[in-house]
Order: sequence, then C-alpha cells, then structure tokens
Amino acid sequence: RFSELLSKEERESILQKRVPKSKILTLPELRANPFQDRICWVFSTSEDGDGSMSFEDFLDMLSVFSDSATSEIKSHYAFRIFDFDDDGTLDRKDLEKLVNCLTGEGDETRLSESEMDQLIQNILEESDIDKDGTINLSEFQHVISRSPDFASSFKIVL
Amino acid sequence: MTYHYNEAFENPDYHYSETLEIDRSRERNSSFHQNLPESSLDDDSLYDSYEGRSGRGQRNQDYPMAIPMASMQPGFRYSHSASRSTGPNTNPYGNPHTNPSFEYEPELAYTSPSTFHAVDGPYVRRSSDVSDGGSFSQRYNRRQADLVYRMPSSLLRLDSNAETYNKDKYKQEEKLIKNLASMSSRERVKAIQKTPKTMKEKRDIRNKVLMEKTKTFVSSSTRINCCTQCLYKTALFYRRFKNGLSEYLHLLQLWQKTLKVIRGKFGTSVLSYFVFLKWLLTFNIFSFLVNFSFITIPQLIASGPNNLSFNGLELLTGAGYFKKTVLYYGFYTNSTITKTENNSSYNMQLAYIFTIGIYFIICFFSLVYSMAKSFCKNFINLQTYSGSAAKLLCIWDFNITNEKAVKLKQSNLSTQIKESLSEVTLEVLNLSLTQRIARIAIHLVVWVASLGIAAACCAGVYFLSRNELQLLEGNKSELENEAATLVLPIVVSLLNLLIPFCFALFGLIEKFQYPRHQLYATIIRNVCLKISIIGILCYYWLNDVATSEKECWESLVGQDIYRLIVIDFIFCLLGSFFGEFVRRIIGTKCCKKLGVPEFDIARNVLDLIYTQTLAWIGIFFAPLMPAMQIISFFIIFYVKKVSLMRNCQPPRKVWRASQMTTLFIFLLFFPSFTGVLSVMAVTIWRLTPSKQCGPFQGLTSVIHAVSGWIHVLDSYSSSKWVVWIYRNLIGSVHFFFILTVIVLIITYLYWQIIEGRKIMVRLLHEQIINEGKDKMFLLNKLRALQTSKLDPPKGEQQERSSSSYQPSRQDALQMTASLERPFGRNGRDFYAESSSAGIPEKTGLSPADEEGHQPGISETLALALRARQQAEWEMEDDDEEDFRP
Repeated sequence: RFSELLSKEERESILQKRVPKSKILTLPELRANPFQDRICWVFSTSEDGDGSMSFEDFLDMLSVFSDSATSEIKSHYAFRIFDFDDDGTLDRKDLEKLVNCLTGEGDETRLSESEMDQLIQNILEESDIDKDGTINLSEFQHVISRSPDFASSFKIVL
Repeated sequence: MTYHYNEAFENPDYHYSETLEIDRSRERNSSFHQNLPESSLDDDSLYDSYEGRSGRGQRNQDYPMAIPMASMQPGFRYSHSASRSTGPNTNPYGNPHTNPSFEYEPELAYTSPSTFHAVDGPYVRRSSDVSDGGSFSQRYNRRQADLVYRMPSSLLRLDSNAETYNKDKYKQEEKLIKNLASMSSRERVKAIQKTPKTMKEKRDIRNKVLMEKTKTFVSSSTRINCCTQCLYKTALFYRRFKNGLSEYLHLLQLWQKTLKVIRGKFGTSVLSYFVFLKWLLTFNIFSFLVNFSFITIPQLIASGPNNLSFNGLELLTGAGYFKKTVLYYGFYTNSTITKTENNSSYNMQLAYIFTIGIYFIICFFSLVYSMAKSFCKNFINLQTYSGSAAKLLCIWDFNITNEKAVKLKQSNLSTQIKESLSEVTLEVLNLSLTQRIARIAIHLVVWVASLGIAAACCAGVYFLSRNELQLLEGNKSELENEAATLVLPIVVSLLNLLIPFCFALFGLIEKFQYPRHQLYATIIRNVCLKISIIGILCYYWLNDVATSEKECWESLVGQDIYRLIVIDFIFCLLGSFFGEFVRRIIGTKCCKKLGVPEFDIARNVLDLIYTQTLAWIGIFFAPLMPAMQIISFFIIFYVKKVSLMRNCQPPRKVWRASQMTTLFIFLLFFPSFTGVLSVMAVTIWRLTPSKQCGPFQGLTSVIHAVSGWIHVLDSYSSSKWVVWIYRNLIGSVHFFFILTVIVLIITYLYWQIIEGRKIMVRLLHEQIINEGKDKMFLLNKLRALQTSKLDPPKGEQQERSSSSYQPSRQDALQMTASLERPFGRNGRDFYAESSSAGIPEKTGLSPADEEGHQPGISETLALALRARQQAEWEMEDDDEEDFRP
C-alpha cells in the first residue's frame, strides 16, 4: 500500500520495481532515524548493495517492525541493524558506531575517547556472557529478553 | 568427484598438500553420512562447478520458483542446486521448536580449512554469515562466485567445500521441512513466521512443506474428497472475512492517529500515560453500559417527572436538581417494577446489588489478569535488570519520527551516558561513616516530614468536612449552602495539587544515589497522601454522614464524590493550562535556565488513579458516575494532548515504560481497588441504609435484600440449588476457610518452585561462563599448536578430550532448553559462535605462517574439527531420538 506512495509513475509493475534508497529514506517514519542506512541495508535484497528495496523487502521490513512480530524476530533484526560491519558479532567497533548513532554526531553530544572506552567496557562486561570480547546474537537476544521495553520501542507504525 | 580430482591432480599445490586427503576423506564421510550414491554426488559437483563459473549470482533469482517441483522429484540434483541458491539461509537460531536437531558445525568444519589455505575473504565472511542467515547469503554467494572466477587454483577447493556445505544446507533444510510438514497447519504458519528470513525464502519453504505434505497425503489417500474441499473453502472464506474485518476494526480504534503523533514526537514513555488513560476509559465505558442498562433504564421507565428547578451551580455541586435524577442512589425505588401487559417483574433491589457486585467482580478479575500479565512480561529477571548494556542496546525508540525529537533524544542520551559513567566512578568512592549516617538521617527526616504532612492534611480535611456537616444543618439560604459545600472539594484538590510539589522539593534535598530511587520514593509519598485523603473521606462518609440521621445520606455521599471529581477535573484543566503554559512562558521568556517544562508522567498517572478510585467508590452511591468519568477523561485526553504538544518536552530521564505501567496497574489494584472493595463491603454489610429513599429503604442492611430473596426462593422447589449454593458456599465460613488454605498451599508450592528455578538459573549461568572459558582455552591451545608445530596426534587427543565431554554438555543443554530459552540457545550456539569467532583470528595468523607449516597445522586443525564434527553428529542423532517420542 505504502510502496505506492514512493514509487512514482511505474505503479503497474510494482512487484518488479526497486525503489532506490534515497526514496525510501524520504518516508517520514525513516527520515529522522539515525539507523536509516542500516535498516535499508539489512532489508534490501538488492544485488548491488545499494540499499534499494523491492515491494517485498518493504513488506518484510514492515512486518518486522510491526506489532505482531515476535520479539525473537525483532531482536534478530535489531542485531543485524546494529552489526555495522556484517560480521555476525557486535565487536568494539560496532558498539562504538552504535553509541555514536545514539548520541548523534554533534560535537557537544559526542562522547570523549575515554568515556567511550569505559562505556564499551561496561557493555561488554555485562552482556558478553562467554567473555570472548564480542556480543553474538544469542547474547544479544539474552540482553534483549531482559528489557521488556524493547518490543514496544522497536516498532514503526505507519 | 572424478572430474574435480583430475583437475586437482593437474594442480601441483593441491596434489601435494595433505588437505586433499582430508578433503577426500571428509567428502567420503559426509556422503556416507547422507547415504548419497556416489554418482549423484559426481554429477552434482560437476553441475555445481559449471554453475560456479558461469556466475552464481544471476541464478539466484531464477531458481527459487522451480523449487517446489524440484523437491517433489526424485531428481535430487536440481533441487540441490536450488537449495544452494537459497544459500545458507537456514538459520541456526531459527527456533529450537521446529528444528531441535539443527546443527551448524559440520559445514563450518569444512569451511575453516579452506580459509586456511587459499585465504579467501568470502569464506571468512561466509562462515560468519552462518550466524546471520537470511538475505546476506545471496550477496555473499555472488561475491564468492566472482572470486572463484578469478582464482582458478582455489576454485576446486572452494567448490568442493561449497558443495559439502550446500549438501549440509540441503540436509538441514530437508529436515526443517519434514519437521514443518509434521506440524499442524497453524503451528507451521507460526513457525515459518518466526524464522527471520525474507519473504521469498519463507514462501519457498512453505511451498516445499506443502509439497511434502501433499506427497504424503496423496500416498495415504489418493484423492481429496468433496467434503474436505468444501471445508477448506469455508475456512479460506472465514479467514478472508476475518482479515477484512480486522482491517475495519483497526479503523474503529479510538485515537489511533493521535497516539501515533504523540509516539512520534515524544516516544513510548509519554505514550504510556495516554494508553493508561485510554485503558481506564474503556473500564468506565464498560461500567457505564452495565449500570445504565441494568439499573437506569428500568428506573427511567418507572420514574415520574422531575419538578425541581435547575440553575447553573448544580453542575458544580451536583446538588439540587440532580438530587431527583437517576444520577443518585436516592432516586431509585425499592419496589419491583411491573409492566401491566405481562407479569414479568423487575426487582430493583436485586438488580442494584447484583449489577454493582458483578461489575466489581469483573473489574477485580480483569485487573488481576492485566496485572499478572504485565508482571509476567516485565518483571521476569528483575535483579539482573539494571544493566547499562541492556539500556544501551535497546534504548533507541524506533517510534520517534520527528527530527527535532530525534536531536533532543540524542543529546539526552549522551548526557545520560555521561552521567551514568561519572556515577560509576563516584560509586567507587566510599562514603565515610558520618556521611552515611547523615544521609540516612536526612532520609528519615524527610520521610517523617512527608508522612506528617499527609497526616496533617488528613486531619484538616476531616475537621473541615465535619464542620461542613454541621454547617449544612444551620439555617441559611439554599444557594449559600450549596456554595459552602464546594469548600471541601476545593481544599482537597488544592492539597492534591500543592503537596506533590512539596514532595518534589524534598527530593531535591535528599540526594539519592540513583534517580530511580528518588522516583519511587516520590511516587510512594504521593500515593500515601492521596490514599490517606481518600481514606479519611471514606471514614467521614461511613462514620459521620451515615449515622447522622440525614435524609438520604447515600445521595449526600454521592454528591460529595461528584463534587470532588468535578473540582479535581477543573483543577486538572487549570493545572495543565496555567501550570504548564505559564511555566513554558517563564521558561522560554524570563529565565532561560528553566527551559521548557517536562511532562511529568508519574504525577499525571497518579492523578488518574486518584479520580478513578473516587469514581469506583461513587458507583454505589451514584450509579451514573462512570458517565461523568467518561466525559472528564475524554476532555482530559485532548487537553493533555494539546498542552503536551504546545508546552512540554519529553522527559529527560529514562522512563522504563512497561515497568512503570506495571507499577501503576499494581497501584490501581492494591491501595485503590482493594480500598474501594472494603468500603463497599462495609456499606453493604454493616451500614443501615436510609429510611426514606433509595432501593434499600426499610432494611437494616443492604445485604438483607439478598437474604430475603433467598428466603423467598426457598419456597420454590425448582430453585433449591441456588439456596443450597448460598447457604453452603457463600454464606459458610468453613468453605472460605478451606479455600484460603488451598490457595495458601498452592502459593507456597509455587514459591518453592520459583526458588528452585532461581538456583537452576544461577547454575546454568555459571556453566555458560565456564563454557566460554573452555572455548577460549581451546582456541588458545589450538593457536599454540599452530605456532609451535607440535605433533598432530596431540592436537587430536586434545580435541578428543573436548569432544568427549560434549554428550554431558548436551544433557545440560537440553535441560537449559527446557528451562530457559535464552540460555538454551546460548549453549546451542556456542559451536557456531566458537568457529565463527575463531576463524578470523586464525586467518589473521595464517598469512604469517610459512608454507612448510601448513600441512601439519592444517592436519591438526582438520582432525580437531573432524572430531568435533563427529561429536556433533552424535549429538544430532541423540537429539533426534530425544525428540522422536
């Protein structure tokens, strides 16, 4: 339904058409989101990795962000969104990027080097159960399972 | 394989490297395991290698369409390649239900040697991709294909690896499909929905499963008869109908749009206030419907005209004109309403008492239900909750869509993070003894002060109300009397408005270590205040008004409650207009330091709870109280919304929305609803209803209406069972005694079970940590072996030892899986994770190794991995056996 809004005139062939990333990001729901690039990347099945979305990808995205998705699916995709280098674990660099996304890029909001170090240290200490220096999916899901607010905040309502 | 190996023989590196053996043996191994005919394997690999060269990427799109057919046919090759094109999408964590014996390691074992030799990027990524699953695979596949094209020497190994990999994939997928096929259709849909894959893949899997199903179905019964087809059609129709209906119902939901806007601008925390408001509103609508239909309508039919005059003040005081309307208890008759045509009669007394009783019972159960549900959801693991990691990883509110809000949120987050970091450093500083004592003293003083204030308020309210009662007896003009009655509610509302600010000031004096504690302390103090005020009012009503020999004291109480609610409503409006509006003007114009006011969720929700408590008490004395409540909530909703949009900014602190909602539901239940129930009980069982008005006039207590009715029923033989139930169950002490004992025993049992579970969780947690250490240890050993060129057998031994304890580990895992999901998963994933974590490190090392080392090292690795893999297979088989019965 919504895809019709973004793709311009070629609505007849909506199932085949891919909507470029820039168009997707004009959606009001995604426009302000600091993770918009990651969201596009994760849900896109595009061959060239340009983050463009087909209608099905779009539906996938909405179904994950909908109310009815289980928290397992939600956490799985959240993990992939946060996994900036796509290597299957959240390591220090991923966490750093994540924190930067959360605090914004402005100079006054950005964390200093030492603060960042300590923060990441804290995170790893708490959630890295098997102490291998990274957070993997199951550890991530474990953390998520302990915070009930997650399911309600990881949601996009059209 | 012949084709490949010929090529391999031409390739000198490969020929001399010992991995060939290993590869071969592994190949054999796997083929044996899968019981595949050698020939099909050959064909397969041939096919695959061709495909590999001609670019697998493009193929991806085309094949999935053909899958259903392929999986039907015995020609297994085609579907095999198709299963590759869907790639490594079968996900290890998909869900333990559908696929309990899902293991990943075998193919990881294959991939890792190859990373060792031809240091090929895609494989590293690919092996990590395993933990990813999903649509990535397609991209990786493509990349891999490119690489294969460029590096002919590594082609073979890649291919053979890819092949075994895919075989495993296929095997797993087949297993998954079989599992799915054996489920009922609803379970299947759920299971498929749960797997985190793209839609296309899901559709493929579903199609395959359906094919599998029909295959088995056809073999058992050759044709589908007409009846099942009919059933199927109706089911389909029903489903469509339901879907369509739900869409329309969605449109009907109240305030959908508004809530979305609020969510977008202020996030989930502020939204929770509005959701709570909406929830209370539905409660009131329900009670209004019940009361209106069962009490008011019959009374309206029977009542005569109202001849009192109406002036504006009555809207505020609720007296005068309203005295003789259906709003109050006093207006209802005690007679049975009879229609002339037929003899059906309507006993007002019974209707009144049963309607209200049943309404309270329903309220009770729905409150208990929603409370239990949210407890269960939100307080699962409270003691380990306060982690900054959890906070950070799931703090982002994806609902926020407004750009300014995003900016604000980001800066808030960063200050929060900084604060928490500095807090951590502060905590390290140990407070000296005197400081600690001083702090405790401050807390004590503040608590005493706040409780004292609450008590003083109560005393003031009590004396004021008694005064008022006497004032009413004095002879003054009607209008003055009515105006005088307004003093009490205004004072109460003022107290309710001002004292919380006082408490907030206290919060500034005492410095809590955690902001959370301060929040809880403030909430507890406010609740104390409000509940004690309501309590003292109830005492006044039940003790003074009820015994004051007034005409229709129930109506007087109803009027009091009406006034309280109305005045509180007005104060709420004024508060949000002037409080927040003026505050914003001051904050933005005069002193910038204050800034825009925040929306205080706790205070607002407590106000709601307060009015709801009043409304519940009022239901007995004024059956149409819910209607007022509905109107006031409606208006409050819009006013709050406008004031929020105009004046406020989202709260700066973290607000654990779901946890606080649980707390508020609990508060609504515990002091307020149980208090209301006890007040009701006193009124119904103990107090004498007024003599001249109301449905219960002339009785010594309200409950006598019921016992009288039972007495009447006793004479009819057909309704003896009602009498029996009343006498032996409701009226008997023994029954309640036994019931209480049973409930206590059950509670105790559950308590013990919980304790046991807690111990179990702790043990399992320790075990996981041990496993992690184990893994690190093994990896270190392996790396040490790599560098020091030790003999291969030792490595094997070591790995054997690691594999020998796997069965025991497996037991533990199963226990975990049955006990607690996240842990169980953790255990299960250890393997995938250990290899995926290990491989990058190994590749990091391997280029540094000289050529000569490689065979030996690779052998140890291969042996180690094989040992592990065998253990995996054992496990897998065990798993299957376990899950078969």
